[in-house]
Amino acid sequence: MTHTLNRRGLSEARPGEEIVVLCMAQRLRKAEKAEAMQSLARTVLKYKPDNFVGKPLGFDAESVEAMAPYTGVVTAVFTDKEVVWKLVGDLKSQRLGVSVVLSGLFTDVRDTCKCTGLREHTYHISLGIFGKTDCLPGENTLEITTQCGHSLISPHLVDAVVKKIRKGKMTCEQGAQMLIKPCACGIGNPKRVEEILRKMV
Amino acid sequence: MYIDQELCKKCLDCKPVCPMGAFILKDKKVVVDYETCVECGVCLRFEICPENAIKQVDEIPYPRILRSVFSDPLQRHESTGILGRGTEEMKTNDVTNLFQKGKIGFSIELGRPVGGAYLRDLEKVVKKVTAMGVTFAEDNPVVQLIADRSTGALKPEILGERVLSAIVECLVPEERALRFIDEMAEFLRAEVDCVVTMSAVSRADDDGNSAFLQKLKEVGKNPYPNGKVNIGMAIV
Repeated sequence: MTHTLNRRGLSEARPGEEIVVLCMAQRLRKAEKAEAMQSLARTVLKYKPDNFVGKPLGFDAESVEAMAPYTGVVTAVFTDKEVVWKLVGDLKSQRLGVSVVLSGLFTDVRDTCKCTGLREHTYHISLGIFGKTDCLPGENTLEITTQCGHSLISPHLVDAVVKKIRKGKMTCEQGAQMLIKPCACGIGNPKRVEEILRKMV
Repeated sequence: MYIDQELCKKCLDCKPVCPMGAFILKDKKVVVDYETCVECGVCLRFEICPENAIKQVDEIPYPRILRSVFSDPLQRHESTGILGRGTEEMKTNDVTNLFQKGKIGFSIELGRPVGGAYLRDLEKVVKKVTAMGVTFAEDNPVVQLIADRSTGALKPEILGERVLSAIVECLVPEERALRFIDEMAEFLRAEVDCVVTMSAVSRADDDGNSAFLQKLKEVGKNPYPNGKVNIGMAIV
């Protein structure tokens, strides 16, 4: 999640395309927030995210709820801004004392804050990629690989999936599911990856 | 990681899954290139091998274990108590208030978004920011690797280790922040042998805006239109 800010390809021309929601109990308060984390996990999953923490590892809603007090973290991907507004409003009304970070367009976050009566507290801003940038893959590939904050989506896997789709051995939807699988945090956006794959094939 | 040669059918389905490209064909056998592999565990979790020929050793020795703790997000750093290679940074800033007005936090992440990084490149960056007089995030696992706080030199035995990424996190007075970005950008271009992602943490103004974000736009630093925002939920 540290790295969702570095996602490539989001544009203010396409508002609401994705918002990643992260909820985290500060580690020194994790024990006292166990119940809050469970409630939070239950609430987040109630709004049916497109992906969520552990889903690529096969976890279901019940296991996410059970694990939340121990990990102190819940992440989820949404592709409907109005759903995020409802979720954030719901969490606010519960006053759980747990931090919430939204990752997406700053303009989308602004809209969410306006709708829920909250205010931005701290910004994390990407300044881009530096150093040996001549070894970066193409932009479409980069848009997919940066879906995983831990760089676990291989550019070679993107190439292999594109080849399979072109040969008719896989659909774009199946390809997207395969490509978000290495990201255990569940922050890959399958809908967006599918759209990028359509552009590539 | 290693390949059990008795189980491997040489289909090479594993090859594209590795973000480092560590699966190679050598002497008609599929093997894990020990130097390239960063022990991130993706190949195991992905369950790509139908024969279960990809194996992990029972215990990865030091200093190689650093590859795993800096590359596998399911490994918990002893120093931070959290999963992943960073800290809670701004994610819990509404509770910790680590990032206050007048200071800008910087994350300089080597090896991301592709290719990984050697810790010898990390040392170059740690030495550079040490010389620039920054304040380190003490709970960042990178700090545990520093042997000499006055120079930023890392422990010598770890320099040849390669990781998926390592993050230097530090605080800089806001009036020095733009100069810091320029100097780091030039340094990274000239001195390191990997890609590096740089980001900045700024406490919001009283109206919820970020004057620092606005300033970055005005001076042509081209910040991304997307980012992370702590929305102060813990203090409502």
